[in-house]
Amino acid sequence: MLWIKNGIVIDPKNKIKAEKMDIFVKNGKIVPEREVKKEECKVIDASGKLVVAGGVDMHAHIAGSKINTGRTMRPEEMRVVRNIAGKFRATVGRVLLTAPAIGYEYAKMGYTTSFEAAQPPIGALHTHEELDAIPMIDKAALPVFGNWHLVFKCIEEKNLEKLKALIAWAIERSKGFGVKVVNPGGVEAWMYGGNVKSLDDQVPGFNVTPREIITMLIKANEELGLPHSVHLHCNNLGVPGNFQTTIESIKLAKGFSNSKRQILHVTHVQFNAYAGSSWRDAASGAAEIAKVVNSMDNVTIDMGQPIFGHATAMTGDAPFQFTLHKLTGARWSNKDTEVETGAGIVPLVYLPNNPVHALQWAIGLELGLLVDSNKVALTTDYPNGGPFTEYPYVMAMLMSRKMREGELSRVNAYVQKTTGLASIDVEKTLYEVINMTRSLPAKILGLENKGHLGIGADADIAIYNLNPLETDTSKDFEKVYKAFKSAEYTIKAGEIISRNGEIVKEVFGRTFWVDARKRVDMEAVMGDIKDYFQYYSVQLRNYGVEERWIKRPERLEVV
Amino acid sequence: MIVIKPKKYFEVCIEAELTPELATKSLEDVKKFRVYYGNRVVELGELFEVEKIGEEKKLVLEGDFSRVKWIGARMVDGEIVVKGSVGANCGAFMKGGRIVIEGNADDWLGIEMAGGEIIVKGNAANLVGCAYYGDAVGMTAGKIIIEGNAGNYIGEKMNGGEIIIKGNAGDFVGTEMRAGVIEIHGSCGFVGGDMRGGEIRIKGSFDLLPSFRKTEKGWVGDVNVKGEGIIKSL
Repeated sequence: MLWIKNGIVIDPKNKIKAEKMDIFVKNGKIVPEREVKKEECKVIDASGKLVVAGGVDMHAHIAGSKINTGRTMRPEEMRVVRNIAGKFRATVGRVLLTAPAIGYEYAKMGYTTSFEAAQPPIGALHTHEELDAIPMIDKAALPVFGNWHLVFKCIEEKNLEKLKALIAWAIERSKGFGVKVVNPGGVEAWMYGGNVKSLDDQVPGFNVTPREIITMLIKANEELGLPHSVHLHCNNLGVPGNFQTTIESIKLAKGFSNSKRQILHVTHVQFNAYAGSSWRDAASGAAEIAKVVNSMDNVTIDMGQPIFGHATAMTGDAPFQFTLHKLTGARWSNKDTEVETGAGIVPLVYLPNNPVHALQWAIGLELGLLVDSNKVALTTDYPNGGPFTEYPYVMAMLMSRKMREGELSRVNAYVQKTTGLASIDVEKTLYEVINMTRSLPAKILGLENKGHLGIGADADIAIYNLNPLETDTSKDFEKVYKAFKSAEYTIKAGEIISRNGEIVKEVFGRTFWVDARKRVDMEAVMGDIKDYFQYYSVQLRNYGVEERWIKRPERLEVV
Repeated sequence: MIVIKPKKYFEVCIEAELTPELATKSLEDVKKFRVYYGNRVVELGELFEVEKIGEEKKLVLEGDFSRVKWIGARMVDGEIVVKGSVGANCGAFMKGGRIVIEGNADDWLGIEMAGGEIIVKGNAANLVGCAYYGDAVGMTAGKIIIEGNAGNYIGEKMNGGEIIIKGNAGDFVGTEMRAGVIEIHGSCGFVGGDMRGGEIRIKGSFDLLPSFRKTEKGWVGDVNVKGEGIIKSL
């Protein structure tokens, strides 16, 4: 039992704006005062300190074949030693961290949940083995659907029942959480060396278009009633002029509604918000995208903010990765994941004096500032935009125009005429930024017990050495950055796991997975699945992950 | 001047960044210098006999140091004389000063070195003057002279400086080289794959890739990467 005394609580989900209050924890949950015996409680004095829910990272690449190939490709990343083995495990990594390092670094920062954003269903066993190796945080993985031959077949046949059954089957087999779509149709086109250029291009070998893929998957996802919406990585990622495609894709959510959450989540939008016709005249399309997102009530986005310094581009968007490799001349690895999807990996450094990198950096911030703070979540698309350990930098930047001006003066002047960042005087409040890193991502993912401190919520709590009543976030940006960089206390399921940026206890979080099998008639698709397994390198009975193989699985059943 | 002698035969490798900087410290401090013996951190004095003679900024390593890695790593000035052989990564990232090795050198000699001089009286192993795991650029300045033979991957990703080998070398000399000079007085295997610039001079025989074109200056390539590197006879 825990008693967090006199803390100043910000909890956007429960509309608590910096109020002094006590929080009580019992059996890993937040409970009302009457349910605990105060004399048995461990008391944490949080006077004058900020008390918020543990951070929720809704989109990061933390486990699976992509990050692992990245580690193999980048031995230089492994030279940074973060922790020498002793009480806790040895951890290394500059930006590409080892599995235990990922857990530890999240915990030090006050983050307690993170989602692996793209797992090829056939690679699920590997993803879960790695997720199991990440301590401290709760986690889950989103399987990818946008380039799967069998998905294309269901869409060609316009057979929604079959598609729903396939999704339910695949999510159960891969112990996944929702429907991720990466460059729909484009990765399949890449198998023939091409890509799709618009929502209405036909996918080679199939009578489907990206527009049909996205729309059918949204329909299926909504009829299944999954906790999370379709999670879309748009077509034409990284191509100047792509903001039009992004806007068109966002508009595909029109006509659908869901009282609980968004219909469509568009991810790392920064990489999809470029105007212009080439990298020579590229500019920001963030304002236009922000306008569209703000005008719709069923779409959310996340930033994909680049951080200056080292990063590694790794996405399921294989054709884009090849373009990037050709552009930068850096190492490149391509993955073809049988009939399901593909991926590519390219090392990257974001340099402030490079006009393109500076532009990307500015666009990420523009999106964060211009989009309503209940529609944009904070991410760096780790490790594509940079390390998640720099979230505090992004938080501080969103809250302080003065800090942005300082940073703008050291980046390439190209951003001054191609983006509106210099003229944006929005300064997000602490409440809004807490929303963007806690309540909103939890709501987007459909996690009811995460991202808030209401009764019944998971006791994932972060306490920061920052008094919201006395701090001027606009002026004291250095203090804000420092405070969020290392949480004074990180509490996971009622246990103190990190103290002043030092790990004090290793715990293992749960792995969430969604079971929607009761919502479908599995027979609708089993014949096709059996038929398709002639193209797989494994047999049907060896495909997928059993629940008992996972360390701490938690099934969320959709009934 | 500091004189260091091994006390015993080392069963596992030692990682010790021994630099002439030690000569500026007191004998007591030098003995307390922390090194890795396998996975244990120990004091230098536990494994080596240490003696201080005068104030000259110089290290003399007497005996077999072939299991001691990272000797002279990151050194900026002064001199190291090794009266025996050295282990891997000798002179890594060094910026200045001089290392003289009277015996043989192991792999990764002078990697990413940016100045100074390394002289090996015996043979050197693989990866002399190249980029360390995963890095994009190898040696950028300075000079490495090897009196004996050298192994494979000499001067990989080299971007300046000079490597002179009096004996023979193995395969893949100057792979992805951008600038600088490699001189081989004996023979070697394949040369200059994906070479963009710089010069490789060879006295003996060597294997040439088909991606080099013959010009007055010598063989120019590698055409696969639109390179302008030169390979010629010495």
